[in-house]
Amino acid sequence: MKNRYLATVAAVALCAGAAGAQDLKFPVGEGDFNWSSYESFADAHDYSGQEMSMTGPWTGLDKELVESVIAYFEAATGATVNYSGSESFEQDIVVSAQANSAPNIAIFPQPGLAADLAARGYLSALDDDTVSWIGENYAAGQSWIDLGTYNNADGAPETFGFFYKIDVKSLIWYVPEAFEEAGYDVPESLEDLKALTDQIVADGGTPWCIGLGSGAATGWPATDWVEDMMLRTQSPETYDAWVSNEIPFNDPAVVGAIEEYGHFARNDAYVKGGAASVANTDFRDSPGGLFTFPPECYMHKQASFIPTFFPEGTEVGEDVDFFYFPAYEGKDLGKPVLGAGTLFAITQDSDVTRGFIDFLKTPIAHEVWMAQSGFLTPFKGANSELYANDTLKALGEVLLNATTFRFDASDLMPGEIGADAFWKGMVAYTGGEDATSVADGIQGRWDSIK
Amino acid sequence: MSPLVQGALTILLGVGGCVGYFYGSNLLLDKVLFPARGPNIARNINRANLIRPWLFLFPAIFAAGLYLAYPVVGSFIRSLYNRAGTDFVGLGNYTFLMGDDGFRTALFNNFLWLLFVPAAATGFGLLAAQLTDRLRWGNIAKSLIFMPMAISFVGASLIWKFVYANDADIGLINAIRAALGAESAVDVLQTPFWNNFFLMFILVWIQTGFAMVILSAALRGIPEETIEAAIIDGANPWQVFFRIKAPQIMGTIVVVWTTITLLTLKVFDIVYTMTGGNFGTEILPSYMMSFMFRDDGRATAVAFVIMILVLPVMIWNIQQSRKEMR
Repeated sequence: MKNRYLATVAAVALCAGAAGAQDLKFPVGEGDFNWSSYESFADAHDYSGQEMSMTGPWTGLDKELVESVIAYFEAATGATVNYSGSESFEQDIVVSAQANSAPNIAIFPQPGLAADLAARGYLSALDDDTVSWIGENYAAGQSWIDLGTYNNADGAPETFGFFYKIDVKSLIWYVPEAFEEAGYDVPESLEDLKALTDQIVADGGTPWCIGLGSGAATGWPATDWVEDMMLRTQSPETYDAWVSNEIPFNDPAVVGAIEEYGHFARNDAYVKGGAASVANTDFRDSPGGLFTFPPECYMHKQASFIPTFFPEGTEVGEDVDFFYFPAYEGKDLGKPVLGAGTLFAITQDSDVTRGFIDFLKTPIAHEVWMAQSGFLTPFKGANSELYANDTLKALGEVLLNATTFRFDASDLMPGEIGADAFWKGMVAYTGGEDATSVADGIQGRWDSIK
Repeated sequence: MSPLVQGALTILLGVGGCVGYFYGSNLLLDKVLFPARGPNIARNINRANLIRPWLFLFPAIFAAGLYLAYPVVGSFIRSLYNRAGTDFVGLGNYTFLMGDDGFRTALFNNFLWLLFVPAAATGFGLLAAQLTDRLRWGNIAKSLIFMPMAISFVGASLIWKFVYANDADIGLINAIRAALGAESAVDVLQTPFWNNFFLMFILVWIQTGFAMVILSAALRGIPEETIEAAIIDGANPWQVFFRIKAPQIMGTIVVVWTTITLLTLKVFDIVYTMTGGNFGTEILPSYMMSFMFRDDGRATAVAFVIMILVLPVMIWNIQQSRKEMR
């Protein structure tokens, strides 16, 4: 037992030694990183000997990655940052906030909980400079400010959340080779996408693979569809009103978006296996049809995580690629992007904490993680050439080109709606029930919890 | 500290604590509170003897109270409060349930489960027990039938997901259909009403082994003479089984039946993993899950309805197994 500990310690020590004494992933001054931002930040801030704490949902590899970013802050300012990741972050942060033992910064995986804590007075607002910085430097800046703005304890809106590390959902995956062979082009608008869908059917193929199966969570992929359709048929304000139930779930706007999803999913000719197979096909198995020969389907809409479930050895960017789920050309709604992301919020104010938020405004804080893995940023000042691979870069571009960014609605709605009634309603709708009656049912459930 | 030492220490503490409690409290009673000496010696002895049983019963009563009675009472009280647990709403949660379509579907499906699963599992179990009774390879057959008992409900569900797969290359049912000439695959889990039975069958598959083992032991316990006498009197095998054997093990059959009934009322894993309650397959426990940790008032109300359904079966079960013991 003791020997094993010693061995681990030795191994850790060796690794640490190899990574350099300062533990900085990329040596200062080398590569295309924006080192001048680092230098000027270091000159302007000195927190030698001070400490701050931070908790977040990132564990394992993500923890190492965030620590590699924190290391630059520590090196620049001399402060010590203690990051601890927790699998049960959502519960832990509430408990520690109530017990007055909150860390300086909490990293929230979704805005709902942050809004909750803000309303109970546990968060400190960001300063005005930071808020206007987000508006100017993030693509779709106002969207990010709005997402981070919640009512404080007095019921007045203030901006609390600083978004950092984003995931993109508005993606359609396809096999470039199959497209090439059949002579299809990547559609630039939703009109084109519908035309392409019909074209594929006319050519005797099946355009889509859609699967909603996910055990107890069956139905969630359809909620992403509806949310994307909402952003493509309605204004972002209507989307927000839908999320907060200011307009009811059975509003014609929402029913219309559900039917837009049905246009694709409820057409036997459009989906592999026919419409009846959609509801019960596992979402992890559903992209499989892209990779058969001849292709069982040509397109699959899913978030950026889905390559995990592609057949082994599939190279993203080569064997399979994605394009942005396009918007209607005929509607003036810009390029909306649906996604998710984590936000930093101050749970216990201090100078170092403010300094850390300032650090997040430097390009280097984004570039260090970008150059490693699994990180996207809407920050226009970060050098997108630094993304670790072309896939990330292309995903980053979707984010940078966005004119509107909206958070996954089902994550923002109360759990009973977003993680139950909405899912089940979508399954029922996909199975043939009427969109209006499904929406009525979901609204009924929402009414019953008010 | 090595786990072995930890384990030994735990056992030592546990057993020592128990012995210490009974010995110590007895000592306290006899020597300090009501000593068997002095002027009131007779009264003291009587009093000590009156208190002693409670002393010995106390740990069990305390544990049962804390872990059984308190949760029941506590849940009932919680079910009378609103979502956040702040406002008293009386029977509001229950009236909501009565008016909710989802609840009525779940209740109806649950009754189907209660009728079908115990009957089928006990029936198949009895059949298997009787058929394997005198076979040379009967024990192998029995272990095969018993094996699903060792699989968790979730594991079993995943296995059956393949059997029911909506694809003739994977799913057994669709493969059979295809072999018989069916054109397209069907998704049995989406077939209204009957999909419930496909889910129930998974539990039957798991529980048949349990019923078989118990009933097979009961069959072995039947006195040979009664069977011999029946055969000599000219009874055919059916009559021997239904008129001689079955009545003699009726008590065991009832216990097996009710035990499986109780289990059926608790099972939610199968529905949860197979369909998530979609396609009209919701049952009460999985319906409860959609409220749990969100609206604990309604969730506890559903829990209480389940408990009321379980109660009569449980009482009957206990009565029957008591009779068996006598």
